[in-house]
Amino acid sequence: MVADITLKSISKKFKNNTALANINLTVRDKEFFVIFGPAGAGKTTLLNVIAGLYLPEYGNLYLNGVYFNYVEPEDRNIAMVFEDYALYPHFTVFENIASPLKSPKYKESKAVIEKEVTRVARILKIDHLLERNISELSNGQRQRVGLGRALVRTPNVFLMDEPITHLDAKLRHQMRAELKEMQKNLDTTTIYVTHDYLEALSLGDEIAILNEGKIEQIGTPDDIYFYPHNEFVASSFGEPEINFFDALVTDDKQLSIFEEAKIQDIPDIVKNKLDTSARSIRVGIRPKDIKYSFVKENDYSVECSVYSFEPLGAKAVLTVEKNGNQIRLVVPSILQMDMDQHVYIELDINKAMFFGPEKINLFSKFLKDAKGEVIWQS
Amino acid sequence: MAKLILDNLHKTYYKNKEPIHAVSDLNIETNDGEFVALLGPSGCGKSTTLRMIAGLEGVTSGNIRIGDHKINDLHPKDRNIGLAFENYAMYPPLSVYENISFNMRAKNVPRQKIKKQVEKISDLLDIKDLLHMNPSALSGGQKQRVNIARALIRRPEVLLLDEPLSHLDGKVRHKMRTEIKHLHNEIKCTTIIVTHDQLEAMALADRIAIIKDGVLQQFGTPLEVFNHPVNEFVAGFIGEPPMNIFSVFTKFKDGNIYFTSKNEKLQFKVPDKYVEFVQEGKEYHFGIRPTDISVITDDHPDSIDTNVTVFENLGEESRIHIKIEEDNILSIVSEEIYPFDTGDHIKIKFDTDRIHIFDIETGGRIENTKVTAILS
Amino acid sequence: MKKKMIAILQNIALLLYAFYAIFPLVWLLILSFKHDSDMFNTTFIFTPTLENYRALFSDGEYIGYFLDNIIVSFGAIALSIVVGVPAAYALARFDFKGRDGIAFTFLSFRFAPEILVVLPLFLLYQELGLYDTYVGLIWVFQVLSLPLLIWILRGYFEDIPVEVENAARLDGYSWWQVFIKIVMPLIRPGLVASALLSLIFVWNNFTFSLLLAGQDVTTTTVAMLQYVASDTVHYGQMAGAVLIASLPIIILALSIQKHLVRGLSMGSVKG
Repeated sequence: MVADITLKSISKKFKNNTALANINLTVRDKEFFVIFGPAGAGKTTLLNVIAGLYLPEYGNLYLNGVYFNYVEPEDRNIAMVFEDYALYPHFTVFENIASPLKSPKYKESKAVIEKEVTRVARILKIDHLLERNISELSNGQRQRVGLGRALVRTPNVFLMDEPITHLDAKLRHQMRAELKEMQKNLDTTTIYVTHDYLEALSLGDEIAILNEGKIEQIGTPDDIYFYPHNEFVASSFGEPEINFFDALVTDDKQLSIFEEAKIQDIPDIVKNKLDTSARSIRVGIRPKDIKYSFVKENDYSVECSVYSFEPLGAKAVLTVEKNGNQIRLVVPSILQMDMDQHVYIELDINKAMFFGPEKINLFSKFLKDAKGEVIWQS
Repeated sequence: MAKLILDNLHKTYYKNKEPIHAVSDLNIETNDGEFVALLGPSGCGKSTTLRMIAGLEGVTSGNIRIGDHKINDLHPKDRNIGLAFENYAMYPPLSVYENISFNMRAKNVPRQKIKKQVEKISDLLDIKDLLHMNPSALSGGQKQRVNIARALIRRPEVLLLDEPLSHLDGKVRHKMRTEIKHLHNEIKCTTIIVTHDQLEAMALADRIAIIKDGVLQQFGTPLEVFNHPVNEFVAGFIGEPPMNIFSVFTKFKDGNIYFTSKNEKLQFKVPDKYVEFVQEGKEYHFGIRPTDISVITDDHPDSIDTNVTVFENLGEESRIHIKIEEDNILSIVSEEIYPFDTGDHIKIKFDTDRIHIFDIETGGRIENTKVTAILS
Repeated sequence: MKKKMIAILQNIALLLYAFYAIFPLVWLLILSFKHDSDMFNTTFIFTPTLENYRALFSDGEYIGYFLDNIIVSFGAIALSIVVGVPAAYALARFDFKGRDGIAFTFLSFRFAPEILVVLPLFLLYQELGLYDTYVGLIWVFQVLSLPLLIWILRGYFEDIPVEVENAARLDGYSWWQVFIKIVMPLIRPGLVASALLSLIFVWNNFTFSLLLAGQDVTTTTVAMLQYVASDTVHYGQMAGAVLIASLPIIILALSIQKHLVRGLSMGSVKG
């Protein structure tokens, strides 16, 4: 079954709040497409529009090139996993999973239902729970039942709305690996919504970043992580968060981030991208790309005071203060730094990202045309 | 400045006439100005302990002391303890200023003095601009700052923080964590934080008390509990992603003793330092952190041949998952981004200095190496 | 020892209250078995007789009243359910202009005393030819039962996450099938409880039955008046009539007592 989904200029309002503004995207057949964004970005609304639960105010939806704005949800052959599971409280686990197969749309014989439900339950390791009531299940088990209800079918598209958000960190780590393994065997177009960047990077073939109802970027995990379109995307991926510095560009195209440090050469490829008139630039450097030392090693390193030191296992987050700004580094937790101790840091300018006017990455691989439609550059 | 001492603390509830030991025989002694975390899964007794220290709950037996003073029977307000509630518990009709100064005004402290004190504390917590606002207008992070300011205004000898970050999300949570750590260094007040999030405890505390079912499991620095967990529970609870723990059996083969997984898919020599502690033909639980397994390219006598089940590229690190048994996945975390995919053949090697062997019955760690030896 | 004493005292107090509460019913029962001559005798010693009941059922009139009552009461409840369930669903699910105003208007039907509206209604009914008809009484009774039904069911509908309905749509059920198969079973406790409660109100209604009907359609409550003759009051017959009239409600209430308590305390949907 081929399932290409195209959204053209989709907009959706709730009263006077714009939930989605001019969304353009294409999900290719068999692709695992992740929609990533903070709470309230419009992710679930977008999913509901695709599912047919909301009608967009403006814009068109196409499935394999066929316009389907007005196709009823039950006729779209879409299976969805809900954030709060949305299980039927008055049904048993078996009845919940069997529900789509029993429905008038897909009416299957008893034998088929029995066989399929058991098969899916075995994959999800809930075959011992089939006779239970929903109220007797833990969150992790409910989530598996929710997945089971979707997996029991062979839909055009799977929609998954933060399916593992409510699990604790350890279970999430494990479930993510399981989902990823399952995904290999599914071979069905999947649209997956999450606010966890690890899930997005791990699972997605392609990621769309949504913020306040608008698309910030669409790209592969590598594009998103290494060439974030703007500062919002850069700060959303990676933990601890990326550091941004306001830097001056000198007349001869050199870079000064800290006054006391030696002025640095801007890498050539960046130089070529810079406007001749540009005098300032924002530099983004990930916490692991900042070197630290206890003595001044060269003219590029600057002295900072330790603001906080947070060990998180083998690694630690070191926050230092420079001119009232906090800078985050990742260091081995063995260091055990004291507060207010002095350290020297040096930015690895070759691993830096450069953001021009309007916080747009000079090396972004993502462009929008004048009509607001998005274009890929590869 | 004060030490907080919990001495043989017990708390027993009765539910349907059955005794429930919420806290059993808890002994914790903090240093002056130390930051201590009470960490455990929900229902482990950590909140009950906090409430007993604050005086919101009675003590069944045992003592709570601040320095040399026994405070068991004192009224909460006389204990000289500041408590920041989990849900902020602010008085909604009062402004931030009034909220912070509430208990000073209740004690009829002169106005001038209150003002000075509030100014000082709001400087420290960076909430000066919020003083005239109503609590309902504040964001989550701001509320937590006001909440802590209110707990600190009385210059308590001990500050108690009840899950201070649990209602914040994502970035704000990380910022607030950094702020609290920094703040503690500024005020150097003995602080107890209750949390169920092990990352939070590790990041903030000087020492962590890990509690399970009302019983203290281990009390040590973040690195101690991370590197030298005393038992399987602590090992599994601390660390993200969690430690790989699976069953192994000992087996003799050509003069060497080997650990093998149940299905014999995984087989590796018992490291020398464990040889004298393990018996043949017995089952043990084997633990190793995902960061302590490396992928190697050249041949090594201890390397293990295996296949990648799932590979995750997470930008700053990669995670490799290997299915060793039907229900058990071995995870590897590496800073190197490999070009692996499902089914790829790889060689891995355990860091033999950093493996943990646990007794299957007691869960206790076998051959508890001296902490100092490894730290050095 | 002390605990035992407290338990005994508690039981005594409960017994006293039960006696206090049930006494009127018991007295009614006794009355219905008394001769008119024994009526004003306050002792419990008398010769029981079935004379009153015989009088009640001798001409079949009372059975007619009883049937009238059943027709109008159950008619009103059925109408309320047919109208109220969709209305409550709409009020719970759809965010339309004036939603809360409409919900409040429904509730306000219960604010005004019946006697206040009965006169204009009387005139209207005369004009419309609804006076003394089944339709007329059913029409006015559903005004009593509908608000209660709507307000209780609205809470039930709001307790069902909309995602559950969405999930069922995507599972391949049409909206209507979702409503019948998923939503209705989930609100059943609330429906049973609110329907029963409304039924009690309607069954016992006196004002409307008296003033908007009375000849062709007579409910049991109004029929009681017939035992007030010009010279004497047939208390014995009246007591029997009252007892029989209240029987259906008592039996219904007892048989679905569990539903009633659980249904009114809500929240049964959440897993």
